[in-house]
Amino acid sequence: MFRLAVSNLAQNKARLLISVGGTGLALTLVLFFGAVFTGATGRLTVYIDRAGADVWVSQAGVRTMHMSASALPATATGEVKAVPGVEEAVPILYAEDMLEAGGNQFVVYVFGVPADAPMGGPWRIADGSAVIRPGETIIDHAIAARAGVSVGDRITVLGQEMKVVGLTSGASSLVSSVTFVTMDDFARVRGGGSVISFVLVKVAPGESPGAVAARIARDVDGVTVQTRGEFATQERKLINDMSADLINIMNTAGYLTGLAVVVLTVYIATIARRKEYGVLKAIGVRNRRLYQVVVLQALMSVATGFVAGLGLTLLLTIVIPQFDELLVLSLSAGAVLRVAAISTVLAGVAALLPARQIAGLEPVAIIRRR
Amino acid sequence: MDNLGLQVERVTKRFGSGDTEVVAVRDVSLVVNPGEVVLIMGPSGSGKTTLLLMLGALLKPTEGSITLDGLELSAMSERKLPDVRLRHFGFIFQDFNLLSALNVLDNVAFPAELTGVSRRTAREKATAVLTELGLGHRLRFPPDKLSGGEKQRVAIARALINDPTLILADEPTANLDSSHGHETMRLLREITQKRSRSVVIVSHDARIKDIADRVLWLEDGQFMKAIEMATDPICGMAVEREGAVAGVREGETYYFCAKGCRDEFLAS
Ligand SMILES: Nc1ncnc2c1ncn2[C@@H]1O[C@H](COP(=O)(O)OP(=O)(O)OP(=O)(O)O)[C@@H](O)[C@H]1O
Ligand SMILES: [Mg+2]
Repeated sequence: MFRLAVSNLAQNKARLLISVGGTGLALTLVLFFGAVFTGATGRLTVYIDRAGADVWVSQAGVRTMHMSASALPATATGEVKAVPGVEEAVPILYAEDMLEAGGNQFVVYVFGVPADAPMGGPWRIADGSAVIRPGETIIDHAIAARAGVSVGDRITVLGQEMKVVGLTSGASSLVSSVTFVTMDDFARVRGGGSVISFVLVKVAPGESPGAVAARIARDVDGVTVQTRGEFATQERKLINDMSADLINIMNTAGYLTGLAVVVLTVYIATIARRKEYGVLKAIGVRNRRLYQVVVLQALMSVATGFVAGLGLTLLLTIVIPQFDELLVLSLSAGAVLRVAAISTVLAGVAALLPARQIAGLEPVAIIRRR
Repeated sequence: MDNLGLQVERVTKRFGSGDTEVVAVRDVSLVVNPGEVVLIMGPSGSGKTTLLLMLGALLKPTEGSITLDGLELSAMSERKLPDVRLRHFGFIFQDFNLLSALNVLDNVAFPAELTGVSRRTAREKATAVLTELGLGHRLRFPPDKLSGGEKQRVAIARALINDPTLILADEPTANLDSSHGHETMRLLREITQKRSRSVVIVSHDARIKDIADRVLWLEDGQFMKAIEMATDPICGMAVEREGAVAGVREGETYYFCAKGCRDEFLAS
């Protein structure tokens, strides 16, 4: 039966190409969109991951950077620093803002970092300086490239004109980017000088972030304390929740397209061979065996389409970032497995219609044609 | 012994009911002995195909019983039939109906594999049958690269592969030119006789009369008188006994195509 299924598939090259091409493109859509999303999500937490803090201290009840505002009294930094096991405590200011550069606007996360802070500042500089003085800013290289801005140019951050002194790399995606200004500039623009957003904590060597976090939570009033991992997880969860509907719609569209292509091609292939299936029945082949042929054909179409789609997506994740730094693509093994599993189910569904067609086929009708 | 072969007893097939009722086959009885070749002829719509389908357990008779080698087909459950078809029947169709995606060898090996023998054994058996039918040089050909006569021989090989008791053929020569048609049927007769297998052929083609042991005439769902065939002992031609030139020698009656043959025979 396997051989018959393979031969049936291979016989009509055009149909095979349409089937594999169609499913491949549909699954590419799903995989590619997943990669775009994973890439963007990864970049959304890039500051949390890379700023250097082991533990994040925020206003009580605030567990994420997005969709919430954390405000702590400036005195919190000292209180945190006094907790045993804390090596460094750095206050930062944070806000989402529209940055204007070269006539373009970009959504950026602006961080106000104290001068000479041992963490919280830019972690990878592509061009210019890593040190910011009043009236200066560091933006990401990808945004600068889009806006046609380079070191020394002036742009607008937090409504103020500032001079670009450095460019970071790897801190942007299509939907976000990271921008640094001095804490003093940030505070002046925002008015209240005695309020900070977060306290970044580095724990002493040999201390576990979890234990130190628990200690801070116990000793300092009015704060929520999370390790870097916890904070990033919360952040990702929020982003996933926010975009779940959109993702689901896109994925459903991709899967349905793939399903439609497979159903149609397997169905047409079955109809085209109606007579042969009738003859097989007359010879004494059981329906169950004929279903196997159809299911195998659907499975093989989908599997080939999946491999083609995966190959194409992998190629895109390599090629596209060469042209557009903002489009960060990341294909996770989990996403690949999930798409593979759903595709297998789709193949089964695709085989249903042709199987029904075969079940209803009377061998007599085939012989008694006129 | 009298169980062997095919027994058809008072079989009737009706389609529809009331005003639209069609009696396609009415009260037909027939015995086909092992090794016998029976040709059923008759005008269009006389019920030939309907009868053949019932013989092949592809259609259930409305009345009557059909028994093959002691197995009552007409009483068998639908679940058992595929296996019976696979092992006890070989079908040959007018338009060959080979599987276009498989090559000649695999087309023939396929039904053998279905019976559970290994692929290798199936292919060996298929090669043997195909060689016997003169297709040893076409094993790897796709069906659409074959001539009509070759396709029909592949179909015959496929029908023979599981060594069935009964071969059923519906208009097997309709898509072949006359010489190929006749030659192919002669080959079928030769092989089945060697194996003592029965053949029932339904056909309009009077040219293949001579390969049959018996020719039956179906009209309006019923057999008319049987046409008995004989072979002219001089020229070897098949002749219908009725109306043929007859001669008696040593108490036995012989039939001839013409007076000339009889005279030659009686003189020898
Ligand atoms: N499924 C059916 N439903 C109703 N009537 C049928 C059916 N099958 C056959 N018949 C009728 O039964 C009669 C015999 O048909 P059948 O096909 O057996 O004839 P045939 O001798 O094979 O004809 P031909 O030489 O044209 O092939 C015809 O009148 C046909 O219309
Ligand atoms: Mg017919």
